[in-house]
Amino acid sequence: MSAMRVDAKVVMLGKESVGKTSLVERYVHHRFLVGPYQNTIGAAFVAKPIQVGEKVITLGIWDTAGSERYEAMSRIYYRGARAAIVSYDLTDSSSFQRARFWVKELQNCEEHCKIYLCGSKSDLISEDRSLRQIDYHDAQDFADEIGAQHFETSSKTGTNVDELFQKVAEDYNSNAFQEMKPEETSVDLSQKKDSYFYSCCHNN
Amino acid sequence: MSQRTERRGGIHVDQSDLLCKNGCGYYGNAAWQALCSKCWREEYQKVRHKQIQDDWALAAKLQREEEAAYASSHGSQAQPPPQSTNPQPGHASLGPFSKFEEKKTNEKTRKVTTVKKFFSPSSRSAPKKETQEGKTPSPSLSRRASFDTDQVSKDFMDFLKNLHKPGREIHKQCRAFIVTMSSKKVQDLGADELSECVQDFYQNLSDRLLGHFKGSSESVEQVMDQVEKYIMTRLYKSVFCPETSDDEKKDLATQNRIRALHWVTIEMLCLSFDEEIPEVSENVVKAITDVIEMDSKRVPRDKLSCITRCSKHIFSAIRITKKEPASADDFLPALIYIVLKANPPRLQSNIQYITRFCNPSRLMSGEDGYYFTNLCCAAAFIEKLDAQSLNLSPEEFERYMSGQASPRSSDGVWSSAPPSDPINPVLAQLNTNLEALSGLSTRQEALMEAAQSLQAELLSWPQSVQHEVTGILKKYPLEVPPRHVPAIDDNDDVDNDNLPPPLMPQVFSG
Ligand SMILES: Nc1nc2c(ncn2[C@@H]2O[C@H](COP(=O)(O)OP(=O)(O)O)[C@@H](O)[C@H]2O)c(=O)[nH]1
Ligand SMILES: [Mg+2]
Ligand SMILES: [Zn+2]
Repeated sequence: MSAMRVDAKVVMLGKESVGKTSLVERYVHHRFLVGPYQNTIGAAFVAKPIQVGEKVITLGIWDTAGSERYEAMSRIYYRGARAAIVSYDLTDSSSFQRARFWVKELQNCEEHCKIYLCGSKSDLISEDRSLRQIDYHDAQDFADEIGAQHFETSSKTGTNVDELFQKVAEDYNSNAFQEMKPEETSVDLSQKKDSYFYSCCHNN
Repeated sequence: MSQRTERRGGIHVDQSDLLCKNGCGYYGNAAWQALCSKCWREEYQKVRHKQIQDDWALAAKLQREEEAAYASSHGSQAQPPPQSTNPQPGHASLGPFSKFEEKKTNEKTRKVTTVKKFFSPSSRSAPKKETQEGKTPSPSLSRRASFDTDQVSKDFMDFLKNLHKPGREIHKQCRAFIVTMSSKKVQDLGADELSECVQDFYQNLSDRLLGHFKGSSESVEQVMDQVEKYIMTRLYKSVFCPETSDDEKKDLATQNRIRALHWVTIEMLCLSFDEEIPEVSENVVKAITDVIEMDSKRVPRDKLSCITRCSKHIFSAIRITKKEPASADDFLPALIYIVLKANPPRLQSNIQYITRFCNPSRLMSGEDGYYFTNLCCAAAFIEKLDAQSLNLSPEEFERYMSGQASPRSSDGVWSSAPPSDPINPVLAQLNTNLEALSGLSTRQEALMEAAQSLQAELLSWPQSVQHEVTGILKKYPLEVPPRHVPAIDDNDDVDNDNLPPPLMPQVFSG
């Protein structure tokens, strides 16, 4: 039962049916399933190793239950996430409102979580431009405002999917590297400075 | 003390098991080793104290062994390792913790007697253990402390031995930490503060390890897993569902809530389980067993493993039903269903304990963490569940909750099908057991009643006896006749006939 070690937790957030599960499915299994009865397949949790330069970063991708009735529970999911992919459906403006809601939630509760705004189902737009309900530049402005990366993806064709997750892994890698630097000089197990090692118990 | 005595599956219940083992008259609880809460607290204080002493004894012994092994394996390299500036490498790390040093000396005086006791041949020995140890049949190993806990210590030492000097350092840190955590002051801390202590310890130790292992988080996590196991096995009793928290209250609330929701069906949760397929119902039963088993584990990671096993069985059940892999959409409702069916003991306490004391890296990102988070969601959902979350009208929901109506009973969470139900033998078995249990509890109640009336009778018995005695005394008052002087006077009215004739003086002639 020794599961794969995971470097970073990535949560999928967004309104039901925007295509969160399809996105994971496409990225991890390189496939896309259509059909009125079957909207999702594949696992709910995936550990995915990604090559970043010399290193391998393993992302733990957390899919969430789609149904609205569990939406309130989603808040429990993003605790401790290092990245959140907040999806909206390019052909559904209400889903963009929902995305704004998730962004606000994350900003309030998870300041260490990097946000990736993802407009999904871009293949539908390519087929018929009139279907677009969210302007690219509006979304980009919003992304800039919140300091997020912005992608438009298609799980059907695979457009931008690998790029999105690659970016997540790269950002994590460079972030983690920065965080580690100051510590590198100070830690040596045999050093016995550490006055705060048992800091909570000093009142003994 | 051993985990094994903490059996949760109270299927086979001896009547006497239900009362406090101390015979104080209150009900005992398996979680408190068949004692009542009061006796348990008292007993537990003693045990914990003893355990700390035993810890020291064992640690000291293992340390000696380890040092001997180190010395022999390093032969002539007796000089201290290059980084160390302390002339006494063995005690180096305790330097900054003078407070602990003090504490330790206090403990030491007591420890000596304990160690001596181990060596004395009269002390109760555990021969099984010794044969297992094989090469070191030292009498000091025949200790009274629980086998499990000792085994964990031993495993921990064995693991650390391979790390050589850092291993010793880690061991010392852990030991000192456990002692600190066992002190009275720390015991009075709130649950969150206790958690902070442990998390700080994990954080600091893993930071230092990361430096030591040159940034290999794989190695760090390996060590941290062992550290968690060692520390939490020791601290479990004092930090699981601590008195300072309201965990116990929440446990009760959740338990009652789940009981009240016994009527929730698979359909209401929009769940894809076809329990008529034997393989599916098998997996469902396994999942239920796993989530119930969580309560019997001490190490947060072992509890997590139970949840993960439970989840895998759920995924299998869904996959078999749907004939394709399960997704997050299927998984959460299925987990909710399993939790409703299992009504896992002390669910909230277990969730809190894992949250507070698990190594965060495992809890936060990995697969175990995902399933655990889903369990938290399931618990939250059950707590907040209303008509809307089950697609019911408020009236329907009310009727089911109040027990005025129930959905088709065969779909109920507690299937009320007769024990002979051919469809699902495992559930049938569960039902039989449940019936046996409720029968037992009825008998237990009757017994209690009888005992109580017996007690009442016993209490009133001396009174009635006394009453009777007084009555008799009144009726036949004891009249002490006026004191008369017996014997001397021959004219006494005593019947002289029965007496031998008085001795008469006789004249002997000649
Ligand atoms: N054309 C098209 N359809 C998509 C795309 N992504 C998802 N869908 C469809 O949208 C529906 C919902 O997708 P799903 O991944 O289940 O959404 P979720 O509820 O967010 O997990 C499904 O019918 C998918 O086939 C996409 O990129 N292009
Ligand atoms: Mg989905
Ligand atoms: Zn008692």
